[in-house]
Amino acid sequence: MTVDLFDVDAMVGPVATTADVAEDVSALLTRMDRLRIAETIVVHTHAWRHDVAAGNRLAVEQVDGHERLHPGWVVLPDTCGEVPPPAEFVGAAVRHGVAAFRACPVDHGYDLLGPDMAGALTELEAYGRPLLLDSDQVPWPQVDVLAGRHPRLAVVVTHTGYRTVRPMAGVLARHDNVYVDLSYLGTHQVLEWLVERFGPGRVLFGTGQPHRDPADAVARLLWSDLDDDAVAAIGAGNLRRLVTGGVPA
Amino acid sequence: MTVEGPGAAARTAMFERRPLDGIPVVDAHAHGGPYSRFFIPDNGTAGMMRVMERVGVDVALVSSHLALELDVEGGNAETAAMVEESGGRLRGLIVANPHIDPERTLATWLDDERFVGVKLHPELHEYPVTGSRYEPVWAAAAARGFPVLVHSWAGSEYNDIPMFGTVAERHPDATILLGHSGARRSFLPDVAGLACRHPNLILETCGSYMTGSWLRYFVEQVGAEQVVFGSDFPFIDLRYAIGRALFAELPDDDLALVLGGTISRLVRRVRPDDPAFAELATGSAAIRS
Repeated sequence: MTVDLFDVDAMVGPVATTADVAEDVSALLTRMDRLRIAETIVVHTHAWRHDVAAGNRLAVEQVDGHERLHPGWVVLPDTCGEVPPPAEFVGAAVRHGVAAFRACPVDHGYDLLGPDMAGALTELEAYGRPLLLDSDQVPWPQVDVLAGRHPRLAVVVTHTGYRTVRPMAGVLARHDNVYVDLSYLGTHQVLEWLVERFGPGRVLFGTGQPHRDPADAVARLLWSDLDDDAVAAIGAGNLRRLVTGGVPA
Repeated sequence: MTVEGPGAAARTAMFERRPLDGIPVVDAHAHGGPYSRFFIPDNGTAGMMRVMERVGVDVALVSSHLALELDVEGGNAETAAMVEESGGRLRGLIVANPHIDPERTLATWLDDERFVGVKLHPELHEYPVTGSRYEPVWAAAAARGFPVLVHSWAGSEYNDIPMFGTVAERHPDATILLGHSGARRSFLPDVAGLACRHPNLILETCGSYMTGSWLRYFVEQVGAEQVVFGSDFPFIDLRYAIGRALFAELPDDDLALVLGGTISRLVRRVRPDDPAFAELATGSAAIRS
């Protein structure tokens, strides 16, 4: 059997703190083949730690011609003119087939819930593609507020770690539009616990590379106690629904 | 027809959602029981055994959370009960608390065959690994040959990497498992260098920042005879650690040593008749035919 895997959480490009990265999409595709990952949403590291607009352009350029890869963009407030106004930014994303967005408010020095991002979040919600947030960028109480303000926006919390189930479970119970990925859903048996509690629709397959070893998430899902239908949903089905504009589960 | 080697067969088993079969696995770093600092579902023996059986992990070395936190004696008794309950799949590590008479703890448990080593946690116990209250542990480890798994963290005031050089030099006959290998990636080359200088330092590889690339680096720099697989479950789910190990691109002989051969050799020095390790202690021959 082959489990269909669609990675919501990957970056390509250099990283200052490690050489263990996929420098380009060719290297990324090699890693994907080895781990039998069918498709990946790709954010370019330049959009994270160099120049957001240029990095977003690189994501589009690098995945061009690769059917298995889809661009992911990093969002910013438009207060300094680094990115176009929200409607224009999201319009460009639509034209380029951007499959998901990522916000890094700690690394990029802004308030995700403040007035400077309100317009962008409204536009993202209307476009209907997921917004990824690393747990070290947006604490759970902020995820709680964000998901309540934007109930049609799929909020995907990545790299959740192994010490955060208490707040995570509360937010997942209150908001059907919040998801977690497998990049580091680290607590023992918590994937099975979440599926039993919330169903298989709230977890997405994501590797978190290059920050995480992509083999981690593959082993975690395939060796889970879940039945094949749940594994299929988490491996790819949930994300396919979200990136085609499907409503949150 | 090409016959795939044990490493490739193990990866195929994962892709096919079958338990491992053909490559013995010992998890050298595991715990057990409830924990106050964060929620862990299914944290008891049954939940841990279910994961081991699902993946195909043969043995895990456990120390109870109770022993590490509040009650060293009651917690070690809890560890012993986990071993009993496991039907041979778990073995215990005796927790010694430097503040609560470690000599008495060792006297109580060292001859109990449910235990195969000692676990120290200088960080949780807020006591430096170089401190004199650990001397009874190092002396007994040198005299009896059992491995001592010690939590380590690069930059910590209690268990920083250079501190293990001091201990290893003072006690060259004590076998020290460097739990997490210092954990932080930027310091892993220093950890490898330290292990090269001290053959009694064994690199245990669980942790949030470990990758298959770093695991391979350790093996290349230090040798698989000084590197062991651990997961830290049920803190961290075991499957994250086994995934990166299987895809670390290690030669099959080295993979067998890391996953089970090296720790089994160490345990057999102190428990030569323990059947759980008999099959696993022969290095490359540990790969089941």
